[in-house]
Amino acid sequence: METILQILFNSLEKGSIYALAALGIILIIRTSFTVNFAFGRIGMFTAFITVYFMNHILSSIWLGAVVGIISAIVIGLIVDMVVLRHAHKVDIIGKQIVTLGLIIIISGITPLLFGINPFHLPKFINYVGQSDSLTIMNASIEYNGLFTVGIGLIFMVCLFFFIQKTKWGLAVRATASNEPTARLMGVPTKIVTMSAWAIAGAFGALAAIMIAPSVNVKPDMMDSIQVIALIACVLGGFQTFYGPVIGAYLIAFSRNVFTYYISSVWGESLMYVLILLFIVFRPQGLIGKKIVKKV
Amino acid sequence: MGKKINKQYQMKENTVLEIEDLSIAFGGLKAVDNLSFDIKEKEIFGLIGPNGAGKTTVFNCITQFYPPDTGTILMKNKNNEVVNLIGQKVHNVIRQGIVRTFQNVELIYELSVIDNLLVGCHIYYKTDIFSQILRLPRANKEERKFRKKAVDILKFVGIEKYKDALVGGLPYGVLKKVELARTLMSDPKLIILDEPAAGLNEQETENLSQLIKDIRDKLNCTIFLVEHDMRLVMGTCDRVCAISFGKLLAIGKAKEIQNNTLVQEAYLGKEDDMNE
Amino acid sequence: MKKLSIAQKAYLSYAVFIALMALLPVLAYYDIIQNATVDILSNVVIYGIAALGLNILLGYSGLVSLGTAGFMGLSSYFAAYFTKDLNLPFFLSLLIAVGIPMLIGLLVGLVSLRLEGYYLAIATLGVGEILHKLFLNIDFFGGSTGRKAETPQLLFGLIKLKHYEYNSFNSMFILLIIILGIVMFLTFNIIHSKVGRAFLTMRGSETCAQAMGINLLKYKLEAFAISTLFASVAGVLFAHNLNHTDYQTWTMVTSLNILAIIVIGGMRSIFGTLIGAFIVCADVLFLHYIPISGIDYILRGALIIVIILFYPRGLVNIFHDIKRLFRKFFQRKIGVGNG
Repeated sequence: METILQILFNSLEKGSIYALAALGIILIIRTSFTVNFAFGRIGMFTAFITVYFMNHILSSIWLGAVVGIISAIVIGLIVDMVVLRHAHKVDIIGKQIVTLGLIIIISGITPLLFGINPFHLPKFINYVGQSDSLTIMNASIEYNGLFTVGIGLIFMVCLFFFIQKTKWGLAVRATASNEPTARLMGVPTKIVTMSAWAIAGAFGALAAIMIAPSVNVKPDMMDSIQVIALIACVLGGFQTFYGPVIGAYLIAFSRNVFTYYISSVWGESLMYVLILLFIVFRPQGLIGKKIVKKV
Repeated sequence: MGKKINKQYQMKENTVLEIEDLSIAFGGLKAVDNLSFDIKEKEIFGLIGPNGAGKTTVFNCITQFYPPDTGTILMKNKNNEVVNLIGQKVHNVIRQGIVRTFQNVELIYELSVIDNLLVGCHIYYKTDIFSQILRLPRANKEERKFRKKAVDILKFVGIEKYKDALVGGLPYGVLKKVELARTLMSDPKLIILDEPAAGLNEQETENLSQLIKDIRDKLNCTIFLVEHDMRLVMGTCDRVCAISFGKLLAIGKAKEIQNNTLVQEAYLGKEDDMNE
Repeated sequence: MKKLSIAQKAYLSYAVFIALMALLPVLAYYDIIQNATVDILSNVVIYGIAALGLNILLGYSGLVSLGTAGFMGLSSYFAAYFTKDLNLPFFLSLLIAVGIPMLIGLLVGLVSLRLEGYYLAIATLGVGEILHKLFLNIDFFGGSTGRKAETPQLLFGLIKLKHYEYNSFNSMFILLIIILGIVMFLTFNIIHSKVGRAFLTMRGSETCAQAMGINLLKYKLEAFAISTLFASVAGVLFAHNLNHTDYQTWTMVTSLNILAIIVIGGMRSIFGTLIGAFIVCADVLFLHYIPISGIDYILRGALIIVIILFYPRGLVNIFHDIKRLFRKFFQRKIGVGNG
């Protein structure tokens, strides 16, 4: 009971980070029709910005994070306006290579601006009263972890409220379901795509800042998170925005279960194999209907 | 095992295809409802009906793209054996002698006209992948044989001059002919044409009508076509079957169908409806 | 003189190309070009081979794979193990080292029957990631230090290939380009046979392919088998060329790089793929002239983006465009002259 609760706490914390990343990726897939492979690198870059501002100018992790998120939004907007908007002649695979180009550019800029040494980013919350973690039935979760879970939930709930209940959310859904038709019906798809890149950038920055205390700020800090987020998208299915989120929490949980109960060496790989098998038998993912092909 | 069962089926003399009690539903909608008809050898048979009547679905059931819910589809194949097409693999249907065209021309735009035709006789290539990859003499010999056959068919259809042109840049009327020529590469017994005249002008439609008759007469094929263009149907088909909402309305000579009140109602609506 | 057939013309052009490439290590031996240039071009050849395989898979069969790096890595480790630890002869090692990834490639081919587009891309990315994790975690793969390999000896040690050493002839490069030549020859034959036509039909429309009697299962498996075969051959050559292989090379970015090669160079073109490999793997050769240090990496990314924006159908079309430009230029000149 104790261990399973501990695993659950740990999975909630990691899952929130994966879920933010998965949302950032699915938003762009659905509105821009590109898998943004540079997602993790943009997040990494903004984590560096956060560290820089925290160390040299603002001396507060909170303000640093705000600057980091704003810079991520700006980067997202630039990428959409400068590059992808002009890529309408490029086919889907070409667009993904564009994001590879972004990976290379960002990986080149980072050491130029911030040097080659990894940085440490502190937690948002270290102590509440005397202790640094909350203990329930012998299982503990750090207050910072709780904060991560909370922030993740707040941002996701806001996004889903926005998508489901507002006029702009309807525009997003219309673009996601059929971009050309939406455009013909007067939906400002350009603005939708642009804001998707901005929001995705912000989510990437959040995910990077939250994972940073445990992995340090370094160029490949987001690589495995990005892969997990991509797999979460496939597991949850591309048809909804909440599918990938469910997929992300599920992966976080089963990853812990597999590495704890089965094997710390093989566990994670085994989990991926099982997910692949699942997708083969249910290609549309957990959430989503099968689409009948018309002949 | 499948073959043993097939042996038990019996078909009438002179028929190529026998469809009995064919039904298929998508969700709650019956796209084809208890449809039965048969096609005689060396006949040009037309299937007509208003939009959404289920014509193409019938084709897709015959070629096994959609497995039908009930019914039998019997076919006298190239060796004059009676086979039940239902349950056959989609890619094996062509081996029984049925080949089809598509509503929206489905050609390979990166290939030349003659290479597109060679896809049509894919099933006749005997050499294995290794001799193909190494271009062994027998693979070369086989390739040359089929290229010659393709040239003959292009001549027959009258588009030999486009032989080496890329399909991508050709006019629509020629593409339709290329697709038709491709069906001939498989020495078919029954050719299924899905709206062959769609997108063609009057002159081209007339040529097509003549070409279809030529194929039947000179190559001993049976032809089954779905068409909206009544000129083509009336001018070409020996018999016509009219369906509406997946149900059979009438089968008969083209003229009879044209004058059939049920068919007219299906196309134009009942007079009561109009008065309302 | 007898007119050459398309195939003969192609073979001739490959032979000329390979012969010209073979001159490079000779030039390097006499210090006319730098040894480092040949080393960089070795990478072009190795990744070019893998990209030719991906070109058959993606360009011809319409199936995307982001697991290429994983397969390359797998065979590179086997090649290292078989030749260095088991002392197997090079060609035997090549055969076995290539076989195992091919089997996994066939399994992925089965997956491709059910998945397409993004789903297949990410599923294959997952396969690559699993392999990457295993490379790091399993002892056999040597963890973070990787495995050592050696430059191969051919014909029971009669020919000992060399490279990289000071004042020696880079004979390893000759082996690389001979294998590249063979791969080009095989690729040409595949795409100009019934197999290639079946691939293209499948890519255009699966329903049409089935109606023409093309067994999707069989051809998807063949496409995956061929592409993993080429990727694994490239992996083996990688290990022998660097005498080393480790997990850091075999990541998602490497898979994306191989994909970039065919998109940049031009899909469905053999020489296009090689041009792409040159741009992606040998950009240092022209980027190092830029005096500001550290900026070459940024320019490299920008170059990829710019090429894709301006040549979405591949750089191989640039020759066509240059020709047209010339014609336009001369026509205008003539026009001016007449006026």
